[in-house]
Amino acid sequence: MVTDSDRLRDQRLVFYREDLDQIDQVLVEFLELSGSKCNLLIDKEGHMVTCCGDTKSIDQQTISALVAGSYAATREMAKLLGEDEFSVLFHQGKRDSIQLSVVGDRTIMATVFDNQTTVGMVRLYSKSACENMEKIFEEIGTRPANKATLDAEFGDSARGALDFFFSE
Amino acid sequence: MVQINFALKEVNCKIVYYGPGLSGKTTNLEVVHQKAPGNSVGDLTSIATEGDRTLFFDFLPLNLGQVAGMKTKFQIYTVPGQVYYNSTRKLVLQGADGVVFVADSKRGKMDENIESLGNLQENLKEHGIDLSSIPIVLQYNKRDLADVYSVEELEEALNSWEAPHFEAVARDGQGVFPTLKRLAGMVLESLNDQHGAKRSSSISISRDSRTDTAHSSSAATSMASPATPVAASERTGTARVSLTAGASTATATRVRTMVQEVPARPVTASSRLTISTSPRRRKRRAGLLLGFLFATAITATVLLHLAGVIRILP
Repeated sequence: MVTDSDRLRDQRLVFYREDLDQIDQVLVEFLELSGSKCNLLIDKEGHMVTCCGDTKSIDQQTISALVAGSYAATREMAKLLGEDEFSVLFHQGKRDSIQLSVVGDRTIMATVFDNQTTVGMVRLYSKSACENMEKIFEEIGTRPANKATLDAEFGDSARGALDFFFSE
Repeated sequence: MVQINFALKEVNCKIVYYGPGLSGKTTNLEVVHQKAPGNSVGDLTSIATEGDRTLFFDFLPLNLGQVAGMKTKFQIYTVPGQVYYNSTRKLVLQGADGVVFVADSKRGKMDENIESLGNLQENLKEHGIDLSSIPIVLQYNKRDLADVYSVEELEEALNSWEAPHFEAVARDGQGVFPTLKRLAGMVLESLNDQHGAKRSSSISISRDSRTDTAHSSSAATSMASPATPVAASERTGTARVSLTAGASTATATRVRTMVQEVPARPVTASSRLTISTSPRRRKRRAGLLLGFLFATAITATVLLHLAGVIRILP
């Protein structure tokens, strides 16, 4: 049986710098149109891919992990209701709110916004932003996978870094 | 699965602490949070029940620092140990690059240890991973208790594939760093084996690059740098989120997202050859040649006409 993991592993995504520039452009445009505070594009494992807007006040790593967890938990709820997934999640706060929109098969766009805009505005513009990003992902997905390479010194440097970090 | 983000020059690895309930997984993370250099760890986030038992996961981001020009980060998770929360365990385990199995050394806990290890094996199998193929370290915790199994007994019952093991008293911080250091080393070693550049061929050529902008690959530009912890988020203390106990279940989605700059296109004989023999370029050259021949024929005809050799019009 081919699992979801196998499928995703086989269809490995490779983003190039130019791809990320395209994605950033879509995110920035969406940020301006929707009037939201910041956008984070996060993969479903909880690693952040890219972000834009005012992210200084946000612990990006923790938010990314929690977004991925939140999405995965609600996906199971969706399955119990006979749905594949909930493609849009919304968490409302007193001051700030966050909307999670699934982008393609692998990523989630987390949009943080406050009272300067409305849920409707964010939802309206996020739809086209997600569609535009999905087109970029589709284009990337059709390319042959290139072998990413780390620096030849990575192994030695990693050992040094671990010795330094874990010296008690 | 490791995310290599060449655009942000980051490597992100996921480490999961697995084991039976109350074996000391969260305590391990608390010790790492307390003892790691202040600017290298973020907040310890714990989604727990009101009784302080892990409900979903504990999460601790840890920044190792610059490794060969890449900001190397570990996302460390624990799973809820209780049997009841298997679906959340599966979710957290998804995409793990390495596992620390925390076993309870206390006599009478062997069945729970074995059951949890079997559960780990099953859950990994569901994600298409064999237990022996993933970096894994065993930690025999609570060695300070009076009535504990001997290491030999634990090894025989739990470590059939001879994974590295460490004795620990996590409550006192003993054995916590060596365990994590060993696993982190195995994860990075595995990463280097899979994605590391060979010294002799550190630059790859992109055949499908749409732009001619040559970005230096990380292998070509980055230097092996000494370990320098990266100032990330300020450690502000443990943030423990209490929720009412309930089964938040989740299935897993495995993602491999790799971001890299367009590999460099070095000016070498082979790359020039690639450019000169491209179909588009050949077509352009043929067009130019035909145009040149056509223009020459017209010029020659006009000159012959002017010289009176031939007449173009009657």
